[in-house]
Amino acid sequence: MQRTLSPSGLRMAALLMFIAIYTAYSAGPFVWVAMMSLRTTTEISAAPYALPETLHFWKFASAWTESNYDTYFFNSVTIVFSAVAILTIVGGMAAHCFARYRFRFKGLIYLLIFSTIIFPPQVTVIGLFQIMVEYGLYNSRVGLVMVYVAIQMPVTIYILESFFARIPKDLFDAARIDGYSEWAIFWRISLPVALPAISTTIILNTILLWNEFLYAVVLITEDDKRTLPLGVLRFLGDQLEDVGMIATGLMIAIVPVVLIYVFFSERLIQGMTAGAVK
Amino acid sequence: MTASTQPATVATPPRKERDHANPRSAIATFLFPALLIYAAFTALPVMRTIYNSTHLIVPNKPAEWVGFTHYIELWNDNIFWKAVGNTLTWATVAPLMEVSIATILALALYAKVPFSRFLRVAWFTPVLMSYVVVGILWMWIYNYDWGAVNSFLRWIGLDGWAQPWLGHPDTALPALIAVTTWMWTGFNMVVILAAMSSLPSEVLEAAELDNCGWFGKLWFVILPLIRPTLLNLIVLSFIGKMKIFDLVWVTTQGNPLWATETVSTYVYKRAFQWSTFDLGYPSTIAVVWFVIVMAGVLALTRLFRQKDKLEY
Repeated sequence: MQRTLSPSGLRMAALLMFIAIYTAYSAGPFVWVAMMSLRTTTEISAAPYALPETLHFWKFASAWTESNYDTYFFNSVTIVFSAVAILTIVGGMAAHCFARYRFRFKGLIYLLIFSTIIFPPQVTVIGLFQIMVEYGLYNSRVGLVMVYVAIQMPVTIYILESFFARIPKDLFDAARIDGYSEWAIFWRISLPVALPAISTTIILNTILLWNEFLYAVVLITEDDKRTLPLGVLRFLGDQLEDVGMIATGLMIAIVPVVLIYVFFSERLIQGMTAGAVK
Repeated sequence: MTASTQPATVATPPRKERDHANPRSAIATFLFPALLIYAAFTALPVMRTIYNSTHLIVPNKPAEWVGFTHYIELWNDNIFWKAVGNTLTWATVAPLMEVSIATILALALYAKVPFSRFLRVAWFTPVLMSYVVVGILWMWIYNYDWGAVNSFLRWIGLDGWAQPWLGHPDTALPALIAVTTWMWTGFNMVVILAAMSSLPSEVLEAAELDNCGWFGKLWFVILPLIRPTLLNLIVLSFIGKMKIFDLVWVTTQGNPLWATETVSTYVYKRAFQWSTFDLGYPSTIAVVWFVIVMAGVLALTRLFRQKDKLEY
């Protein structure tokens, strides 16, 4: 049996109209910024919505080399990569622990970690600022990595725990009979079996941290340590009138995210919607 | 611990027993790194902020206990209440807009309109962008001289409606709410579509047999069945909007006339921008706001749960 709804013609037309308008609203801004990124500011101010006549790809090279973009990009890549690596291991260990063992205060500890998802970031950010200054981790990439691990930990544990909990217990019993240590069980059974969930958390954390702004703007002030979102904002300040160049800068920040989406869309959507469906 | 390479023999059980009987060390090892990071970078900062809220914290001086002075000052702080009003407006209007538009879009995809794969990508992509990118892009769209909104209005002949959208106190907040709706509707749509696709087909077939019309099927069958998902999305969106900072910071910084000031931007301003140098007062705002957000989330989940009980 097919389950399609079969609205009448008029309703369908109204729906299609709504869809067309919404799609223009939703995709229009990207099309526009992509066009502007290939046009010069003179061309843009003459006709803001015209198609590019000649494709000025040199603008990408010049944004990259002349505005410290390479530094920002490199900072973002190293910080996000390190944070996601630590998150996967540390979060995976904790999730494995919550899913496999029974121990005292388990519910309480889980609730404590999990409730931080709701916390407004302001309640941590001021105390964090003071603590980071005292630890000597202010204006440090290592410090930002640790903070990123901390803010993404709850959701990572949440996604992994629900997956680990569904791995059949027999698998673990068999491993125990084979003499696997607890660590080997985690490393050689839980992790490989949960690979889909792990890749989901990796992709989700990568995107969210790649875009993170608040903690970066509070904890990083030195130019050579800025991440890409801070760099883009600085770029805006420097080039205020040069719309064409800023559009190119925006595209450099957009492209990696879109690439991740193109290659991993299913995993990414799974990660973003985890917990929202009940 | 290379036991894995050995076949299971009679000699192994004692060791296995020992591992089994005492997983306490294993539990501690697995949990320790996560708990350490949690304690150092989440729990400690939160406690520090609460401590700050009753102290005057000025650089190069020991913290000075001031009791609840900050709390009293906060009670009389008009900008704070303005920010609370703005944030609450945002957190009420945005979830309703996002979820209702997303439901229509999800229905369209569920009814298998053409190009649904492309449409799903087009609608979902905005949520993947950094607020910095989104903010700059929409500042241009709202630009008075050449922004897309005003260009469109002038093109259809409504020149009088053209205005500096982010520069006018009456339009700035709605304009920003339109931006978060733009960002998050696609995300909500994907979740709702997933919920619709997992509905049991027997129910819909039964409705069809009962001669249930298109609208009837939507209103009496589909929406009640996916209601838990919808309510969940509303709570999620509410939480997100209560935290909103990045977008405002990039576009208006709370201007004009505090029309777009949110609690988050106000905390940031008081802590790191205004030259009051006191970290105590912004901490007080953060603590009070934390309590309000928690209460809001609890109240919402409570309310939705009770409604569920009434109906079934």
